[in-house]
This record gives sequence, structure tokens and C-alpha cells, in this order.
Amino acid sequence: MSNVILKNVVKRYGSVAAVDDLSIEIRDQEFAVLVGSSGCGKTTALRMIAGLETATSGDIFIGDTCVNDMPPKDRDIAMVFQNYALYPHMNVRDNMGFGLKIRQMSKKDIDARVEEAADILGIQALLARKPKELSGGQRQRVAVGRAIVRKPKVFLFDEPLSNLDAKLRVAMRAEISKLHRRLGATIIYVTHDQVEAMTMADRIFIMHNGALQQIGAPMEVYRQPANRFVAGFIGSPAMNFIDAKVALEDGAMFIDAGGFRVRAPETFRSRLEPYLDRPVIFGVRPEDMSLHDATAGTGNSIKAHADVVETLGSEIFVHLTCEAHSLVARMEAPDSPPMVGDMLEIDLKMAKTHVFDRETSQTIV
Amino acid sequence: MNKKLLSNILFYLIVIAIACIVLFPFLWMLVSSFKTQVDIISWPPKFFFTPTLQNYQKVFEEQDFLKYFLNSTIVGVVAVGFSLVLGLPAAYSIARFTQKKLSVFILLARLMPGISFLVPWYIVFSRLNLMDSYLALILSHMLIALPIVVWIMSTYFNTIPREMEESAMVDGATRQYAFFAIILPLSGPGIITATTLSFIFSWNNFMFSQVLSMEKTKTLPIAVYNFLSYAEVDWGGVMAAAVAIMTPAIILTMIFQKYVVKGLTMGAVKG
Repeated sequence: MSNVILKNVVKRYGSVAAVDDLSIEIRDQEFAVLVGSSGCGKTTALRMIAGLETATSGDIFIGDTCVNDMPPKDRDIAMVFQNYALYPHMNVRDNMGFGLKIRQMSKKDIDARVEEAADILGIQALLARKPKELSGGQRQRVAVGRAIVRKPKVFLFDEPLSNLDAKLRVAMRAEISKLHRRLGATIIYVTHDQVEAMTMADRIFIMHNGALQQIGAPMEVYRQPANRFVAGFIGSPAMNFIDAKVALEDGAMFIDAGGFRVRAPETFRSRLEPYLDRPVIFGVRPEDMSLHDATAGTGNSIKAHADVVETLGSEIFVHLTCEAHSLVARMEAPDSPPMVGDMLEIDLKMAKTHVFDRETSQTIV
Repeated sequence: MNKKLLSNILFYLIVIAIACIVLFPFLWMLVSSFKTQVDIISWPPKFFFTPTLQNYQKVFEEQDFLKYFLNSTIVGVVAVGFSLVLGLPAAYSIARFTQKKLSVFILLARLMPGISFLVPWYIVFSRLNLMDSYLALILSHMLIALPIVVWIMSTYFNTIPREMEESAMVDGATRQYAFFAIILPLSGPGIITATTLSFIFSWNNFMFSQVLSMEKTKTLPIAVYNFLSYAEVDWGGVMAAAVAIMTPAIILTMIFQKYVVKGLTMGAVKG
């Protein structure tokens, strides 16, 4: 069993809590992604699992063993660092075999393991090279290779793709996912990039200000965000948030944003009733907004002014102003895209919208 | 264009003026070492003269200069060697565990005038019968070498990403193993800088050797004293001896120029 459990883990630097009472369980063979913005405590949490930082309080278990006082070398983990941390004075073969050499494995066995890993990662031709003779992508593979030769219980990845260009990042994302399936290992992966989290994770652990916000499968946190932070963090472009209040008129429930008003679906009613006439935040994802289609007849459209139109090929982002509210809509590129300055009628897919408590930021619906 | 040319001319004039000021004493010493005593003290100074090697003959034949050379080498090499053995782990510890107080304390030892150590040293070493011993000189020269090593190397270790040894530690190494297997091999340039500078400072040190050494362990800078007496000063001998002493230091500096300049610009060394 190579599950990882954190129980009430706290890490303080002076009076600042970098990680605040974090309790999570990462299951055996799971691909877990810790995601959050800079300074949210995700890397600190990873470093505590690795043993590179000591928890101020709380317990960390790897398998059945409490590893609180265990040095990194005894935890049977491997870590891929953001800057790869390859040893510059050693060639790729020695870099990859370093951990095995420390474990006094025979040279023959080390060579066999290194070549097996090199084969998996397609870096056989690089084994004699020094790190400075490698491109960013190749270094990244070597760093992953160095981790997998040891066949550890748990793999830790600390933003390993952030130094790669966008194209390479997409390719490496898929490779790491494939590698996970092939090795069947437990992986804890830290990133600030929600796209990486969404595309690679079995479960996403979203953190903010040192505290855990939500745990869930990628589509779960996308569709049912626990709070406003998660809703804004997951999804690109980010969800539009509009200050509004809940209103009741002729028996129908509305979200009244001042500049516009839309009718809430019947399924929202029971949860919104306690918020009647109270301030809330209305959230709508850019992809749940589309140019008005008279035949669809959703009845929930708003009129907005197109400020900027960004064309991405298959789709467009339209930055809109609706009264005092700024919104972004993401839609399939129509044959004749809207022009800057156009007054557009935009349909909202109300069933997919969210409403948040303005005081607690928790999701109401 | 004219403005650029003018500023270039001004720049080089200033450089030449500074170089003249810096190099003049050295050139004077070099030229005088090839003059006879009469030529040296003649007024106005003679710029055209018949060069002679008699001063160098005196230095190497009449004086036991090779012994002094050997003494300076032994003291310098062993003091720097011990300073590296003690200073490298100390510098690593300061760099990685941000022990600011310790680093300031070590720097203070370097900034305090060396002469303030001499009286206690004299008493301690003479009571221990260590006067005129290599041990006393080596220990005293470590006061020069150790802070240089610690200060330069702690700055240097800070430039090596922490992830290097963290990665080794996750791979199964202890911190000590990571230090020897990963950090030290990456510290070559820093170690060369610290070694060169501390060796040169030890080589040139006059004061500690003057008090703590006698005939057996006399080092090169003290040997220059042999040419000074109450009756007269043998300027030719002094100049030739000074040139002979400076030559190894100059050669070392020229070989490791890149590292020496880097060390000085690290703000690590009191010039």
C-alpha cells in the first residue's frame, strides 16, 4: 500500500501559517494534483511529504508508517523538482543511477534499471551527455527518469512542466499521464496550472491561503465548485462573477444584478429561498454564454456591448460590458464573428450557472 | 561621434593615470633590483644604468632564501588546507541554515586588527613552547585564511540551488553525503578563489611571522629584514628579495585572475 495521509498538518513560518490544518488522503496508485495560486501552501505540503520541511504539528503517513521524524532518504519517495535539479557534473546515466548507487546496487543492475527507464522515456541516446548539453524537455525527461529508476512507493512532482514552452508542456502532460498508467504508482503532483490539474488528475486538491478548499474529480470540481475561489480558479477563462440579489416576482425567482435580471431555474428555488432579497454573487462560466438563438428560446438573455473580440481559430473570446458589469464569453467561432462595438444579445445557460453567498463565498447552488 | 571619442580618450587617460600610480612603486622596485647600491641612491635618479644581477646572487647565495621559500610554502599550504577542511562545512552550514550571527562573528575576526591577537598568542605559544614552530605559524595564518574561505564559500554555496542536495537527499543520500558528492564537486570555482586569495594573504603576511617565528620557521617577508641593519640598508638586496617574494603571488594571481577578481567582487575580502 502506498497511500499518503496527512492528518491536521500545520506548517508555520513565524506567525504565518503556510499550511493550515491540512487533512487529506491520497489513495494507493492515485494521480493526485495539489493546485492553487502562488503561496497557497501546495509546495510546502509536498516538501513536508518529502521530508524536506518539518511539519509544525500534525502527522504524515506513507503507507502505514508515520514518517514525521523520518529523513527523506528513508521515505521511499522520488521527487521531480521544478528546475529538475540534475547534477551538472554527472552525465545522464550517472544522474539517473545516483540513487541506486547510494543503495549499493551492483553496477550491472544499475545499468539495467537506467536503460529500462531510458527506454520508457526515449532518452537512450542521451545517456552519455551532461545536463548542460540537453534541451529543457530532455532535462525534464531525465529528471523523471531519475525518479522512476528507483521504483519508489510515491512520486512527487513539484511544478515539473512550468519551465517548458506551451507545446512541450502539452506533450509532457500526456506522457506523464501515460507513465502513471504504466507504472501504476501513487503520484502527488503540484501545479498552479488548472489545465494541468484538469487534464492529468484522478482527483484535484484545491488549496488557497494554506487551507484545503475542495477535493474532487476534475469534472466534479468544475461542475460543483465548493466556493467562489474554486469556481474562479478552475476553468479558463475564469468564471464571471456578478454582485446580485435574489428576487421573487409573480411566484418566479430571479437573479437581479441591477443592470439585468435573469430567471433562476426551478431546481434552484429551494436553495435560493433563504437568500430572498439578500446579496449574493451570481457566477456564469464564459462557455455557458452564447450568441442569442431565437429558436432555442431560453428566455434568459442579456444585452451587452462587445469591447474586445479575441479570435482563437475554432472559438472566440468576447469581452462584454453589460451595464456596470464586465463579462467574458467563450463561444464557437461563428461564420461572421461579432465586431467590437456591437450590441449583442447573449443567452445564458442558466442550469449551469452558480450562486454564491456573498459573505461566506460558499456555493449556494 | 566626437563626444564618444572624447569620452573614450578621457576614459583611457584616467585608466593610464591610475595604472601609473599603482604600477610606479612596483616598477621602481623591479628596476632598483637590477641596480648597484650607488645607482639606487644617486640623485637625480638614474634611468639609464648598467644592469647587474649581484642583488639576486646575494639573495639566493648569501641568504638561505630557499629555506624561507619552503617555510612560506609549508605555512601557506597547510594553513589554507586546514582552513578549507574547517571552513567549507562551516560555510555550507552558514549558507543553508542562514546563520547570520555566526557569519558576522567570523567576519569580525577578519576585520579586527591582527596585531590585537599577537600579545595573547605570544604568551600562549611561548608557554606551550611553540615559538618558532610551524604549528604556531600555521594556526596564526589560519586567522587570515579561515574567514576568507568561510566568507567566499558561504556566498558561493548560496548560488548553488538548494534543490541539488535536496534531490540527492530524496534519492537516498544523507546531507553529509550530498555535500561531498554533489555540492563540493560543483564548488570548484569558489574553492579556487578562496584558496588563491587566502594563500596570497598568508604568503604576504609579515606581522605574525615577525613575532612568532625565528630562524627555523622564518618566512619570506621576514627574510627581507635580513637586508636591513642598524648600520645600513642594502636597498638592492631588499628590492631583489621583494621581487623574488612577489613573483609566486603574481604568477598565482595571473593564472587564477578570473577567480581572484570574482572573489574580490564578492565583497568578501578586506583588500
